Amino acid sequence: MKAIIAALVAGCICGGVVAAFAAEQTLSQKGKAFSQNAMTVKKGDTLVFQNDDDVVHNVMSSAPGSEFNLGAQQPGSKVSQVFSKSGELLVICAIHPRMKLTLTVVD
Amino acid sequence: MHDAQSYRSPTSKAATSRGLCLAAVAGAATVAIATVVTNGLAAPAEKPIMVAIIGAPDPAIMSLKHKYERPTAIPFPRDNPYTATKVDLGKKLFFDTRLSAANVLSCASCHNPAYSWGDGQPRGIGHGMKPLGRRSPSIVNAAYGEIFMWDGRAASLEEQALGPIKTDVEMNLPIDQLIERLNGIPEYGPLFQAAFPREGIAPEAIAKAIATYERTVVSGRAPFDAWLNGNDKAISASAKNGFVLFNTKAHCTACHSGWNFTDDSFHDVGLSDEDIGRGKFLPDVPKMQHAFKTPGLREIARRSPYMHNGSLPTLKAVVDLYDRGGVDRPSRSDDIKPLNLTDQEKTDLVAFLNTLTSDMGPTTIPILPR
Repeated sequence: MKAIIAALVAGCICGGVVAAFAAEQTLSQKGKAFSQNAMTVKKGDTLVFQNDDDVVHNVMSSAPGSEFNLGAQQPGSKVSQVFSKSGELLVICAIHPRMKLTLTVVD
Repeated sequence: MHDAQSYRSPTSKAATSRGLCLAAVAGAATVAIATVVTNGLAAPAEKPIMVAIIGAPDPAIMSLKHKYERPTAIPFPRDNPYTATKVDLGKKLFFDTRLSAANVLSCASCHNPAYSWGDGQPRGIGHGMKPLGRRSPSIVNAAYGEIFMWDGRAASLEEQALGPIKTDVEMNLPIDQLIERLNGIPEYGPLFQAAFPREGIAPEAIAKAIATYERTVVSGRAPFDAWLNGNDKAISASAKNGFVLFNTKAHCTACHSGWNFTDDSFHDVGLSDEDIGRGKFLPDVPKMQHAFKTPGLREIARRSPYMHNGSLPTLKAVVDLYDRGGVDRPSRSDDIKPLNLTDQEKTDLVAFLNTLTSDMGPTTIPILPR
């Protein structure tokens, strides 16, 4: 029983440590452009996309192994994505494909 | 480059003597227009007239003109830079009917220079002379595009190039058979060796060669460009009026922006049609249902019929569609709404669109390898 409790406590502590290292970064979408065209995040980080435009946007990537599509993003809303695979991927708005972000995910 | 819902991608946009007065709104990029009675025509002013200096360069028009300056160079991607040998090979491939199963269709069948690099048909014609699902888009200025096909399912010209060749309803030639066929044409070997010494006759080389050639198909300088560059007589007063309308009341620049008159984005413009376009790839994005990529407008007067389904025969019919606002449905773009254009304003818009036709000159058909 003590072992189980110790394991749970250790797990919670470790989980807390992991959570402490997982960061969150925010990117704005304004004027049909991302506020940055390239950025680097750590594996496990969360990237938040803030739609500061007055039109619907989308955030997606077709990078093999890192595909995602966040659907319709209304003006003023936020969507987020956690990146769990290292490498470089192109993130676009599928509605406005000139919106491009080259994202590098590092270990 | 055909777009027929067939090839599939894995993933899967003045002040003039005739009476137009321009209101320059201080400190703002927007302009308000008004017409006064001339030639028996009159229309109510949209907003109060503020400035009307006949013959003087108007700062508001100068500001608008700045948005349409042509780029100085053709962009080529880093992973497929320009070489003359690629263009030479790509042009031969583009015009070679042996790239189709029946030896009768080439890329140029649907992208014919005689039709401003389209085919002049409402919908393309594919293998067995069967009609395809959508109109053949022109490849003019494809070098400046972001993603390709009416629904954006090709991420690059290279990705697009092989699609119609292998698609059964289009050119219907599987890529392995294409390679075998090209290997059987002796004069192609040296051309591939010159352009792609490492790859030789390979699918990637074929795609890169065709894409490189397509990037060289760029519209020439049109009367509109001459006017931008200071030749005030290069376009008519009606066309100048149309240019201002295009940027203001008619709201065209919400999508047809920049020197090539496109935002490379996707919009439902309210055309009555069952085709959901981009919506097939973005089923959970309501605004993408019935949405299609905004075509550029260079050479547009020579590219009829119009729209993704070729349903509108003239530019006048297109302007009428936008004036009505199209089908009111949830997916319709927020930029599409009734415009209440007068007949004269519609005429002026068409006059402006006619100034976008350049003299691209004749295209020499290549002597094909045997």
